[in-house]
Amino acid sequence: MMDAQIDRSKAPEPGPAPEVRLGDHATFVLGNGMRVILVENHKLPLVSVQVKFDIPIFLQGPMAGLTDMTGELLAAGAGRRTKQQIDALVDGIGGKLSTSSDGVYASCLTKDLDTLMTVVSDVVRRPTFAGSEIDRVKKRMISEVRSRHDDPDAIASEVGHVLTFTRGYPYGEITSEKTISNVERKEIQGYHDRFFRADKGYVVFVGDINEKHARYLAERAFGSWRDQALGTIADKDGNEVVEGLGSVRYPRKQPQPFRTRRVALVDRPDAPQSVFRVVFPVQLKPGDDIAIDAQVMNTILGGGVFNARLMQNLREDKGYTYGAYSSLNSDRYCGSFSAGASVRTPVTDSAITEAMFEIERMTLTGVSKEELQLAKNYMAGSFARSLEDPRTIARFALNTYLNNLPEDFYSHYLERLDTVTVSGVLHAARALLVPDQATILVVGDKEVLYNRLSQLSFDQRVFQFDEDGDIHRDKLDPIPADVTAKTVVDGYIKALGGEEAVRKVKSVKMVMTGTQDGKLVTITMVHVEPDKFAYRRDVDGRSQEKVVLDGQRARRTTPEGSGEIIEMELEDLVQSAPPFPEIHYEERHIHPVLSGVVDINGRRAYKLIVPLDNGEQYTDYFDVESGLKIRHEERRTYGPRGMVLVTDYQDQRPESGVLFPHLIVEHQLMEQPYVVSQIEVNGRVDPSEFALE
Amino acid sequence: MTTIATQAQMRDVEFQEFDLKNGLHVIVHQDHSTPIVAVGVMYHVGSKNETPDRRGFAHFFEHLLFEGSDNIARGEFSKYVERAGGVLNANTTGDRTYYYEVLPSNQLDLGLWLESERMMHARVDQKGIDTQREVVKEERRQRYENQPYGSILIEVLKRAYKEHPYRWPTIGFMEDLNAANAQDFVDFYKSYYVPNNAVLVIAGDVDIKKALKEAGSYFGPIPRGSDIKRLQVVEPPLNGEVRDVVYDQIQLPAVVEAYRIPAYGSPDFYAVDMLNRLLSQGNSSRLQRSVKDEQQKALYLGSFTLPLEDPGLSIAFAVANAGVSPEDLEKAMDAEFERVRTEPISEKEVQRLRAQIETEFVTDNSRMAGIASNLASAYTFLGDAGMVNKEIARYMAVTPEDMLAAAQKYFIPANRVVLHYLPKNQQQ
Repeated sequence: MMDAQIDRSKAPEPGPAPEVRLGDHATFVLGNGMRVILVENHKLPLVSVQVKFDIPIFLQGPMAGLTDMTGELLAAGAGRRTKQQIDALVDGIGGKLSTSSDGVYASCLTKDLDTLMTVVSDVVRRPTFAGSEIDRVKKRMISEVRSRHDDPDAIASEVGHVLTFTRGYPYGEITSEKTISNVERKEIQGYHDRFFRADKGYVVFVGDINEKHARYLAERAFGSWRDQALGTIADKDGNEVVEGLGSVRYPRKQPQPFRTRRVALVDRPDAPQSVFRVVFPVQLKPGDDIAIDAQVMNTILGGGVFNARLMQNLREDKGYTYGAYSSLNSDRYCGSFSAGASVRTPVTDSAITEAMFEIERMTLTGVSKEELQLAKNYMAGSFARSLEDPRTIARFALNTYLNNLPEDFYSHYLERLDTVTVSGVLHAARALLVPDQATILVVGDKEVLYNRLSQLSFDQRVFQFDEDGDIHRDKLDPIPADVTAKTVVDGYIKALGGEEAVRKVKSVKMVMTGTQDGKLVTITMVHVEPDKFAYRRDVDGRSQEKVVLDGQRARRTTPEGSGEIIEMELEDLVQSAPPFPEIHYEERHIHPVLSGVVDINGRRAYKLIVPLDNGEQYTDYFDVESGLKIRHEERRTYGPRGMVLVTDYQDQRPESGVLFPHLIVEHQLMEQPYVVSQIEVNGRVDPSEFALE
Repeated sequence: MTTIATQAQMRDVEFQEFDLKNGLHVIVHQDHSTPIVAVGVMYHVGSKNETPDRRGFAHFFEHLLFEGSDNIARGEFSKYVERAGGVLNANTTGDRTYYYEVLPSNQLDLGLWLESERMMHARVDQKGIDTQREVVKEERRQRYENQPYGSILIEVLKRAYKEHPYRWPTIGFMEDLNAANAQDFVDFYKSYYVPNNAVLVIAGDVDIKKALKEAGSYFGPIPRGSDIKRLQVVEPPLNGEVRDVVYDQIQLPAVVEAYRIPAYGSPDFYAVDMLNRLLSQGNSSRLQRSVKDEQQKALYLGSFTLPLEDPGLSIAFAVANAGVSPEDLEKAMDAEFERVRTEPISEKEVQRLRAQIETEFVTDNSRMAGIASNLASAYTFLGDAGMVNKEIARYMAVTPEDMLAAAQKYFIPANRVVLHYLPKNQQQ
């Protein structure tokens, strides 16, 4: 054979696009209302049968896990067969049978379908729910809960559901050891009898079977099934009351995103990686006008393609992860968004920052035409590839019924996909993505992550959860009875060097340096008793900010200009002017509140909230062991909205008999360490330093 | 048995094959039912071809081969595929590395161009090496370190082999990944990524003649490489049970039993694989029924055959139910291993296994991507692509007596590694 010369320098041109043919399905309804869907495909001697019930979601509350347990028990004895007999029959023909809370899926070689159908019919209509099997399944499920607690991905997924939907919504309920133990046979039977109903049932045949035979098998398996009339009893709240099951609470409220961005952490000590998820609920139903635009949008962000933004940024550019993805689920009850990755522990906050950046960017500017085209082509290709499996056509048909979609929804899918535009994608992103109200869930090593993560939350707080999605109750060391706010403050003064030494400090000048974006930042602060203060920030030797308080008035000067500081900010300045404001608390009628003991940088610390006259407050944290102040937190209601300044004090060493921090770490968007290069106590103070002009 | 064989025969995967002058073997399977095509290339190189100071390099290298070529800029490889509406991926084992695309059928040439570029003049820059090194390390952390019981294979292999490179896992070790450099890349590429060490498979909505011709156009100009030096390491017998405890971030203990078994393709291999199915495939299998359902000692269990080119392993793995000790669980498992060594296996049970295998063979060959990789594996390891159709006969030929003999030969304590996985907080 001759090797024809080809041009290797560029990709070959594709041939004419092949036609994508959507196969047909047939459907008919049995006398009892059960709908049968059939997709014939005789390529292989295989056939599958699925029975599915359209079951509304409801709150399982203290019996969370009831529906899953019922699902598992369907095949654990049914009709005249025990579990062993069912297993032997299915394995004996080399078949498959799996059951779930809303039905059954089974498959086998064509020749064995009639045999398998007798089991399918029993499993759906006549499960035994034997006590010994219930006990076995409970035991297994309890072990499974423990096993789930060991798996970071499973934790992220379960806790992610709680945080997305809340416990008050069926999708946010979690199965725990306790809820499993609560379930009894009467509830299992009650659930089955109420919700496995022929008039809400679908039977789906796919594969090597014709319509006549499908009709025969469906009639034989389900034709004689007659539904009981539904009860009409309601409890005092209007909930349906079901025999065996009691009141059935259907959800009344749609889950909403949290009011602000927050960070949630599940601790995994020493974990080499963090699993993170950015989650929120979305109002997106499968047939919504926006649904296809939304899926294109998600494909570009992180939905499966290798060239998605999350994958390219977090993996191919930064090497933070093996894979980063997002998913946008449409659902007839409540949809959800989730984006995340597994990343090595030290880059967790950087990776989340990049993911948040990408999510936010979707809502800010339109995607490029190239990205749009790639996503559309990929989705069209996926659609075509999915048709290789005859079950796809059956799935389309079933979805059309369950979600009340227009009959031509799937046959027009490719046409509609083709019409998606850049502005449609932007519109979908803006309508559905709420990065400012996202919950950032991290499953990882708390000791390393806690501080870094607090920077990602709008209010600096990190909510800690346990593996079942309950708020983690930190093992609070009880505040000893003899510890009060006053003893904490006194202990602090004592730790500094004693009241006498502290009161001798009339002025302090501190110079500290750090680097920011490669530039040298120098901060000089002068505190003078009782009410003078000067602050200067130089970047590469040029003054960027000067604040001066002369005892009464204050002024700020920046390269943009100069202005007087008034009202609340002035009061704050006066309050914090002395070298050690704590020694003035009593005379200034400041009464701190001891709120508890918390973990700061892995150390136990007393948390002291200090309310001020002007309605502001700040929070200080004092190391339980040493008594020293290790963190200062200030929330500002003026200036940039809701900004919180966090300052950590480390490396405390004495100067003139009093301890001063020699490493100061500010946290805003990033950690910014400053090394204290000079401390001058009671040195000469040049009055001109406090001149307002 | 005859009926079964006939039926499987009726559904043969048809294909045509030929060799290019440079030694590349080409296989084409034609199926017009869906307008897609799978293009796959299998290189007969895996982690067993690594040197002991570059453990994990074959897989690391697989990542690097997505970086580009003389004609494909960094990052463009996957773009070509996804822009065409296709998917791509690759995977590496101890024995081989497999790359594939599934594309709309009018994009066959694109798939051939990409794969021939990969074979002809792959290119990678320092940024690519540095980034993929981190990506591979994250893959290791995600799959092996941050998963409960994720280290099982690593812990088993290092105790089951002393000489053979199977003693290290395909994912490798951090220190070796750090040590890998650009010269390693050049050497590995030159030694193993040559047409005479590869098989190209095209499966799907194509014209066989045209596909063969295009394959020649794209791959023909690639020069033949030197002959491959095949590994010649014979691992001595284990000669006595190896037993150890591994502490992991878990609550439920687990038991692992790894038995040394013969190479994939040997007659005994099929008997061992049948034994594993007897033990754990399907709810009525012996371990599932006895240990999981009746005695309720396990939350999960399975017994698998690793189909390796050189003598491999059969690994039984069970996670204990809450409150069950690993000793107790092991005892229950061992009772079933003892049964297969001592009691004849009934014809009825063997019938069940045959039925399961028959369904499996039909299902395995139901999609183009699966057919392509099955043809490639059959050619690479069994020396005959036609084994996709004929291998089932080897299973059907296994008798209950063969299984009993295999159990007595391989499923014995002296031939195994036993690990107990225990919660970290129990570590002294």
